[in-house]
Parts: sequence; C-alpha cells; structure tokens
Amino acid sequence: MSHQVPSDLGYVPPDGGWGWAVVFGASISVGFAYTFPKAFTIYFKELQAVYSISYSQIAWITSIMCATTYGGGPISSILVNRYGSRPVVMFGGLLCGIGMVSAAFCTSILQLYICVGFITGFGLALNLQPSVIIIGKYFLKRRPIANGLAMAGSPVMLCTLAPLNQFLFDNFGWRGSFLILGAILLNCCVAGALFRPIGAAKRSVKNQTTEKGKEAPKEEVTRMSMEMSNPTYAPAETRTEEEEEKDCCEKINQYLDFSLFKHRGFLIYLIGNVLMFLGFFAPIVFLAPYAKHIGIDEYSAAFLLSILAIVDMIARPTTGIIANSKWVRPKIQYFFSFSIAFNGTCHLLCPLASGYTGLVVYSIFFGLAFGMVCAMLFETLMDLVGAARFTSAVGLVTIAECCTILLGPPIGGTLIDTFGDYKYMFIKCGAVMVLAGTFLFIMNYYNYRMLAKEEKERKAKEEDPKIVRTENEGRSNWKKETLQDGPELEPLRDEREGLKTEVNGTNEV
Amino acid sequence: MPGFSGERFVRLLLLSLCLPGGSPADLPMTTQDASQTQGNLLTQMPTGLNESSPEPMMTTRVVNRQTRESVSDHSPVGHSVSTPGPDLTTQDFKQAVEEKASNFTDLVYEVLVSGVSGTPVEKNITLDSPAKVELSCSLANKYPHLKIVQVAWKKGNETIKHINKTENSWSIQLIVTDENELGSYSCTLKGEEEFKAVFHLQVPKIEGKEKPIISYEGDTVVMICKSSNYTPITWTWYLTNGSEQIAINDSLLSDKYVIDRVPANTTHLKILKLTKKDDGAYWCEAVFKLGKSKGKLKLKVLTFLVPLKPFLAILAEVIILVAIVFLYEVYSKKKEKHAEYEKEFEQVEQLKSEESNGVESSSTRHRKV
Repeated sequence: MSHQVPSDLGYVPPDGGWGWAVVFGASISVGFAYTFPKAFTIYFKELQAVYSISYSQIAWITSIMCATTYGGGPISSILVNRYGSRPVVMFGGLLCGIGMVSAAFCTSILQLYICVGFITGFGLALNLQPSVIIIGKYFLKRRPIANGLAMAGSPVMLCTLAPLNQFLFDNFGWRGSFLILGAILLNCCVAGALFRPIGAAKRSVKNQTTEKGKEAPKEEVTRMSMEMSNPTYAPAETRTEEEEEKDCCEKINQYLDFSLFKHRGFLIYLIGNVLMFLGFFAPIVFLAPYAKHIGIDEYSAAFLLSILAIVDMIARPTTGIIANSKWVRPKIQYFFSFSIAFNGTCHLLCPLASGYTGLVVYSIFFGLAFGMVCAMLFETLMDLVGAARFTSAVGLVTIAECCTILLGPPIGGTLIDTFGDYKYMFIKCGAVMVLAGTFLFIMNYYNYRMLAKEEKERKAKEEDPKIVRTENEGRSNWKKETLQDGPELEPLRDEREGLKTEVNGTNEV
Repeated sequence: MPGFSGERFVRLLLLSLCLPGGSPADLPMTTQDASQTQGNLLTQMPTGLNESSPEPMMTTRVVNRQTRESVSDHSPVGHSVSTPGPDLTTQDFKQAVEEKASNFTDLVYEVLVSGVSGTPVEKNITLDSPAKVELSCSLANKYPHLKIVQVAWKKGNETIKHINKTENSWSIQLIVTDENELGSYSCTLKGEEEFKAVFHLQVPKIEGKEKPIISYEGDTVVMICKSSNYTPITWTWYLTNGSEQIAINDSLLSDKYVIDRVPANTTHLKILKLTKKDDGAYWCEAVFKLGKSKGKLKLKVLTFLVPLKPFLAILAEVIILVAIVFLYEVYSKKKEKHAEYEKEFEQVEQLKSEESNGVESSSTRHRKV
C-alpha cells in the first residue's frame, strides 16, 4: 500500500547485479560512519595524559564528531541532489583521510577538535547519507534486504576496528595510529567508486545515438521509449530551460526538498524517531559501567558488548529478509514500531536482570532489538517518502535526530549521578522507546488508512473515462514491462493499485 | 577507615592460613601466594595472645572479630583471605585498629598449621610505615595430636631467640622501623613431620607498564606512575644509561624534563623534545618510610618513517582499487554500448522490413475490401 512507484524514480531499479557491489560499498561507508567515534575512545587515556586535560574535555572530540556527522546531513543531501552519490562519497572519504592525517601532527587539544571532530566528522557525514541514498536507487523489490545488509556493516566494522585500533596504538603510539587511520579511512573512496550513477546512464546512451547520426525515425523511437520509462528526464530538460522563470522556493526545493514538511508520513517518522533516539544509545554507553557497578569484572563487561555486536551483526540482515517477505513488507511500518517497542521493553526489564547470566540474556535481546531497529531505520523512511525524495528526507531527519542523539547519553548520565542507581536510566530509556513505538504504531495505522482512502478516490477517478486515460495507457505499459520481470513481482502484485495511490499521495501532499 | 597518617598504634589481628592439608572439608582459599592450597580454616582467637603480648589487646580483639570487612579494607593482606565455609570457626583475617599514644601500628599475623606437611606456606605482608609486627605460627585446634618437638623462627639464616609460646602457637615480635627489619621470616615446626611457613615483609610494590610507551622524535611524552593504596613520601625518577640508573634532576634540566608529584600517590614525568637517545627504560621510585620501591616503564622513540610505510602501503592499495573499479566500469560500459548498438541495428532492420511488409499488406487489404 505504501510502496515505491517506479515512476517516482523514473526507471526500474535493477534489484541486483551491480546493486550488490553497491551494497558492499555502502556497508563499508556506513560501518565507518557509525563505528569510528566509538572505536576512537581507545586513545582517550593517552591523549588525556599528554595534554593534561580532563575526561569530559577529551570526550568532546567524539561528541563533535557525532554532531557533525548527523548535522552535516542536509549539506550531504544538497550535494547528492546536485552531483549524485559517487563524487560526494569520494570527497567525503578524502576529507576523512585529510582530517586524520592532519590530526597526527596536532599540538593542542583545540586542533584535535577541529581535525578529528569537524573535518573527519563532516567527511563521515558525506559518507553516511549518500550510501543510504544510493541503495534506494538500486533496489526496489529487494530493498529491505539491501538495507539490512548495508547496515550490517556497522557491527562488522566495530568488531574489526576496535582490536585494530588497539594494535595500532600498541605499535605506533597515538600519532602513528592517526596517520594510519587516515589511510584506512581513505578506503571510503573505494566504496564511493563502487557507487555507479544510475539513471544518468540512459542520457549518455541517447547522446551516443545522436552522435552516431542515426536515422530520424529511429532517434524518435529511442527517445520516446526512454521518455516513457524516464519521464523525469524530459522535465529535467525543460527545467534547465526555464530555470530563470522559477521562483526561489522551487529552486531551494530542487536542492533540499522542504516540501517534505507537508508530507504526512515524513512528519510521523520524524517525530517518532526524534523521540526514539532520546533513549536509543544511552544503554549501550552505560552497559559496561553498569556491569562493573554490579560487581562484574572488566573483561566480562567488555564481553557483554561483544555479544551485543555479534547478535546485532546477525540480526540486521535477518531483519532485512523478514521485512522483505510478502507478509511484512506491506505493513513494514508496524514491524518497525514493534521493534522499537520491543527494544524499550528490554530496557524496562533490564533492572530485573540479576547477575552475569541475566545481563548476558539482556545483551542478547538488546542486540537483537538494536539490530532490528537499525536495519529498518532508513528502509521505513524510503517506504514513506519514496526514493526520489529520500535524498532530502534523510538529510532533514538526521539533523533533527542530531539533537536527541547527543542529549540521550548525558541525560542518562545525569540520572545515574542524581540517583546513584542505573535502573532509572534504563527505565527512562525503556519508557521513551515504548512511547515512541506506540506513537509510530498508532500514527502509521492512521496513515495507512488515509492512504487506502486516497487510493479509493484515485480508483474512482480512473474509472471515469477522461483525459486520465492516456496516463493510464502509459501506466499499463509499465505494468506489462514489470509483469515480464518475473516471479519476484508476486508480493507486489496486490499492491499495484497502491503504486498509483503513492503517486497520488506524493503529488497531493 | 582510619588512616595511617603518621605513626600510630594499630593492632592487626591474625591472618589465619592453613598449611596444605588433606582435611575433607576443604575450602577454596584465595591468597596472595599461589602456593597456598586448600585447608580448613579455623577461627583461632588464641587466648594465648593476650598472655603473650604485654600490650592490653583484649578490647581490640573483640572489636576485630566483628569488623571483618573493615579489617580487610585495612589490611593489605585482607583480600587474600578466603570466604568462610560451613565450618563457622573459619576466620580469615581480623584486624584491630586501636589508637594509642605510642607511635607504631601493631600488626599481628598468624599462620595456622594443620594436617599434612608439604611445601612451605608463604605470606606476603606489605608495610609502608613503621609498625610493630607479631608473627605467629599455630596449630589448629583440630589437630592436637600433632606433637611439635621443636620450633624455630628464622630471619634468613639468623635464628630468632625470643619466641613467645602459648598453648598451640609460637610467635615472635618485631619492631619494624626501617628497611633492615624487612625481609623473610620463617617458622619451622618440627615434630613427626615438618611444617614451614614464611612471611615476607616488604614495601608496597609499584607497578610499571609492561607494554612500551611509543612516541616520536621531537614530540612530548608523559609517563605516569601510581601507588594506589599507600601514599609515598616522595617520588624519584631514574633513567637508564647503559647499566646505570641516573636520577633525573628536573630543576637542572627543566626544558627537557618536568616532574609532577601532585597528587601524592601519582607522579608524572614529562619528557620534551624527544630524541633517539631518550629511548630505553625509566624507573619511578616511590620512597616510603620503610624503604623504596621501583616500577619500570619502557619508552620507545620512533621516527615518522615507521608509520609512514604502512600509510603509503594502504594509500597505494586504495588508489589501485579505485583504478580497478573505474577501469572495470569503463570496460563494462563499452560492452553495453556495443550490445545496444547491435540491438538498435537489429531494430532498424526490423522496422525497415515491417514497413515494406506493411505497405504490401495494406494494399492487399484494400484490394480485398
């Protein structure tokens, strides 16, 4: 019912082939973006000693890095809208590398804030958003699986980056490690190179045919067939001609689609997620200290996090596969709300866990829930707004989430310090997430009903034999094309009406 | 926890240890010494103690029994004691704290002997300030049948003569004022079998770092030494020159070394403008009233060429991979264009043939109509 329409993109995504290479590249990019701040904490002790500063001053480095990674979202979106994913990711990788290499030569903590915090953080921002965006361009039918696999890069990278950082630090000291980490981050450029632009390929074919000077009727045939499958292409042409005539609002919307704020699904997602992130990361941050607080030794406490990462690693692709199944995909928003509420319930039950076994069980369930939420984080947004507007949507969402992501752990820390007990932090996180899950569930129920209503109205209009017929013919051609695609279409067949509804939805809203 | 600032009379009570024995109700014991094995722990409040020691300790003794937890905090050896088992008479460590007019802390350490002889039981006792120490070896109440003929207390090879004997325990008293009195004291109980226990009196150990600290030429490095439980009087840093250890005088070489001794139980050595010559072992020495203790730290000074090699290797790998990806893309695009060109060519041919056919068929249709 809320599926992405091919017409939204203008072409049929390959759903495979080179797409899997893109998924691999995306998992590398996403992995670096999410895990680099966490893995960086190994250097804190040494840096504290060298620069004679307190822990909170050192912790600002990762806070600035996270803030820039999420806050740079809109800029990322604008750049992707303008230049496409590939150049942005490659530039981002280059920026990360430059940031870390210059950090190796820093002589004061302020320079570290700038090099590691801002420059590397911004480079990671230019990595994260485009990677997620390009998945939407390459996949439609298998998009949840692709999203799940790409997001699985995060725990895999965490498991490799943390010991690697320790190894580098033991052998090269912190300056040498920063230098080598800069080189490692340049691998994001390789990931970016894999992001072959799609959609623009047809344009080059057209140029080729004109260059080769074919006969006129043949040219028209090819151009017409391309227009049918790529209607956004023609409007783009006309757009360049009429650029001066547009008013500035449309121009801005071309780069960053602010009209999304009128989109019902987008607003629901935004409010629900902003609320959720208030309690999302705090439990991970405080799991090891909580374990030590109840008397578990340091290595076992660290092992809890490893369990979490391993379960997370398995949960993400699995969730992708489940979300792609024909029972779940139409109602993927409900699955998402359920996983958030499940996550919250885990936190609420955590204070009841006593001893090490209890915490191990909690870690397993937490890893599962965490993986489920992360795997569907961007898939649900794509599902709501469509792949074309996703570019701008992801930028706007990340900058809004930025505030609550940064506030979450400090609020948890204040609760722990005030009450001297970890259970209030877990209760707060659990309550916030259950609330967010319920909110999303109810609002998406409402949204699905509204979409069904709009679809009915759309159907009624179509039965009316008017000018709409030509459009319908065009659409029936698409239908035939997609029918020839094969058995994968089975899950989507019932929702084909929904395709039109979605078009209507995006147009109206 | 009463602090040890200055010197006070404190009475530490007995640390009961069991010599290796074959008693059935064995309790696992965690002690500092690995040679400790299982045995039955009996709480032995040797009544003899009161008689043997001239100081009035009775009140403290009673207090001590209850304050086992504070005792363990207090005593450096406390954590080595085992948890009491089903046998309620087991007691690990009791420590009495009593404030008196006189100077020293009173410490009493006891070893319980039971059952089978074997390797000597060893006990490490950490002292940082002058104290009065009583060491005693005693028989557990369970084994009255063991006849002890001869008991000898020795410091190294030197025999200690004045042994206080009570019903089942033999003890000696020491006044530890400086490092001469530290060392290993052993008691040997000879009877049908021989039992031996050794007490090692020592200053607190300072831990250095196992892994070398790595820094670069021209950079600054900070080395840290900590003494967690005991506060030393002062700290001294040494660097190793060949086989000698030379003290670092930070006032003399203040643009090279900076030593920070605040807070008192931590010290920082900052070395500026590193060169290859600064590479090697450094020692931080904590000076206590009863002696000195050293910790070792290693410093490695590298040139920037060392990490540069992996950096260039990874950079080369990135460039090669990017080049491969782009070349593959160009190659596959060429193939695609070629295939499309052929397809279009076929389409044109088809159109042409269709047109010619269409003309004929339409004309035939017309004729038919």
